[in-house]
Parts: sequence; C-alpha cells; structure tokens
Amino acid sequence: MSSEPNDPDEFDRPRADADATPCGYTEYDTKERTTEEVPATGEDADGLEREVWAALYGVEDPEMPVSVVDLGLIYGLELDDGDATIDMTLTYSGCPAREIILEEVEAAAAGVDGVDDAEVRLVWAPDWSLDLVTEQGKEALREFGISVER
Amino acid sequence: MATSRSDLGAPDELSERERDAVEAQLFRLADDEYIQAERYTFWQVRAPTLESDLAVANNAQDELGHARLWYDAIQQFGYSEESLLWESEPDDFQHSTLVELPFSEGDWGDAILRGYLYDVAEEIRLAALEESTYREIRERTSRIQGEEDYHVEHAENWLRRMADDEEARQRVQAALDRLYPYALTLFEPVGDIEEDIVDLGIRDATLEEMRDEWQERTTAFLTDLGFEVPTDAEPATPTGRDNEHTQHWHDLHEEMVSSYRNLGRHEATTLMDDE
Repeated sequence: MSSEPNDPDEFDRPRADADATPCGYTEYDTKERTTEEVPATGEDADGLEREVWAALYGVEDPEMPVSVVDLGLIYGLELDDGDATIDMTLTYSGCPAREIILEEVEAAAAGVDGVDDAEVRLVWAPDWSLDLVTEQGKEALREFGISVER
Repeated sequence: MATSRSDLGAPDELSERERDAVEAQLFRLADDEYIQAERYTFWQVRAPTLESDLAVANNAQDELGHARLWYDAIQQFGYSEESLLWESEPDDFQHSTLVELPFSEGDWGDAILRGYLYDVAEEIRLAALEESTYREIRERTSRIQGEEDYHVEHAENWLRRMADDEEARQRVQAALDRLYPYALTLFEPVGDIEEDIVDLGIRDATLEEMRDEWQERTTAFLTDLGFEVPTDAEPATPTGRDNEHTQHWHDLHEEMVSSYRNLGRHEATTLMDDE
C-alpha cells in the first residue's frame, strides 16, 4: 500500500453506531477500465505505443525469467500526449514483489523517449489465470521448468 | 429485502449514505483478515510439521494479501496507510474478537479449529459479496475466492485426523467450547448501518442469514466428527465490531505499531522511493 500521508483527523475510521462521518474531498482515478479483451500484448501497436510495449516486454517477473506482458498481466495501455497509463494485474494478491513490479513497469514505460510520465493502475478484474499466458510465455515457462499444461 | 441491483459507481460517485455503508463493509473485511494473519504468524515456526509450518505461513500470506486489497479499497476514499494502521488506536478496529485471541499455548487444535470457524464464515461472506453493487468489492471478491478454497480444506483435513485421536479430540472440543462464542461475533452488527449494507446491495445476505448458514454448515461437519457444538452459546462481549476489544488486542496492537513508533516514523516507507 502506498499513499500520500494526509491529515489523520480528517480520516478517522468509522465507529460503531457513529453519526455520519465527515466526507473529505479526495482525488482518485475514476476512469472506467478497459473493456478490451485481456491480456493486452500490443500486437497491433505502432509508433510510440509500440516502443512502450517493447519496453514493457523487457520487464520480467522477479521470480521467473518471463516478461510481464507474456504472463498476461498487462490489461491495457493508454497514451495521452506523453502520459502512459498501464492497467495491470498480479498473479497473486499476496504477492510480496508488488511494489517492485509496479515500479519497474512504470520506470520502463517512463524510460521511453517521448513518454513524460507513466502510471500503473492495479486492476483485479477479470481474474488472471494461466489461460492468459501467451504462447511465448508458456514456452518461456516450460524452459524455466514450470509445467503450464492443465 | 429491497435490494437495488444498479451499480453504485466509482468511489467519488457515492452518496454519503452509500459511502458509509460501503466503508462499514470494507473495514470489517480488512480488519478481520489483517488480524487473523497477524495471529497466524505465531504458528509459523511452531506448527507440528514442516508441512504445516508452510501451510500456516501460506494462509497468513493469503490473508495479508487480502487485507491489503481491502485496505487499498478503503484508501480510495482518502484514508492513508499511516492513519489506518501505524498511527491507529486499538479501538479504531472493528475485527471480530475471534481473530485477536492469542492461541492457547502449544494447542494446535485451537489454531486449526479457529481457522476452520473463521474460513467457513469467510467463504459465506465472500459468496454474499460476489454480486455486490460496489465494483471495488465485487472485483476483489472474485480474486480472493480463488485463493481461499484451500483454507477450509486444510482445516477440515486436520480436524478429521484430530477427531481420531483421543487427546487431540479433547483439545479440539475444549477449543470449540472456548472459541464458539467469539466466532459468533463475526456476525454481530456495527449498528443500524447493517440495514443499508443489504438494502443498497453491497452484500446480498443479512448477518442473521449468514450466521444461520454458518451454524448449519459447521454444526453438520463437526457433529459428524463426533464433536459437540455449543449452538446455544451467546456471542462473546465485547464483540470487536463495536470497537471494543479484549486486552489481548491492546497487547497485540502495541506490538504491531511499536516499530513505527520506536523509529519515530511519520509515514510508511516503501521499498523504493517514488521518483
């Protein structure tokens, strides 16, 4: 969990039978998430988008030499001027490498010439499963010694 | 039940009534999972076999992951991790007192039975959240359900084995008599807001309905193994849901926030600083 510290008084936890809680104004992401098919792999991308996808391909799972794209973890990429927004999920909710992976993905996208800023939005739907691993990803997993047949 | 099926929308689209009800549901989900995980870690190097060390450690990791998902959803309303956890007071929390009790010393039966009572309740609660009108709950529920299957199975396998051994059977029965009233607090209300949670379709079963299903299921299984289930028991007080807790929670909370306090921190650190 990472977040900006804020005034603790403004965000007291609700109490049992408490009266209405104060409603502080906050900013958050309200964009609807992608309705495209998942995972996204950037197959038809060109131009700058293609370069961002190439950078994302370079990010591997910390535990396996397989790209996060081939694992099917990337659910969408949006480019708006120089701002890249990546929708992404994780294989496991208790993933201890969450911060590392998210930072690496953001750094990879932001490192592309023409991208000023990159942000990852963590999404949990649709569910990730082995079915979302690409053929190339399955091949890499097999080489690594993990069976992906069910 | 007058249940509205329409989606409540994004975090900033909720009315005050909707937001209060969503928060009420989220806090108990997050707190229950988090404290259950905190207690599990005690057994991590003390379980009877290496295999069960791993199983318990894995359960704890699952519950911590789920707590993180729920606290993330709470943070969308503007709360910070610092205020939620590290700068909290013990009576900020609304978890059931079941999960805050220390384990009886050396009593593996206590650990397993507690996991069983909790995880069956968790399955029933998640099933009632599957179709939640609040998307942030609905999507997380689906993800978590896939990771919870094994928990009940693990507990049931151990209970079957322990039912076959006289000493173990006595320990489990004693744990059942002791823990049952605390387990009932899982279904206690935080207040009138409970009606809103169901009316708004955030959860599609009432606390009473979930408790009945839980009692039916746990009683059938445990009775079949020859245990006597104290179904007449009243919920223990305080309930935890009412922000009141046993002294055990105050002690555990002290431990939980001690590093943050001793290091004089003002914010939770991350592995890598934001660029």
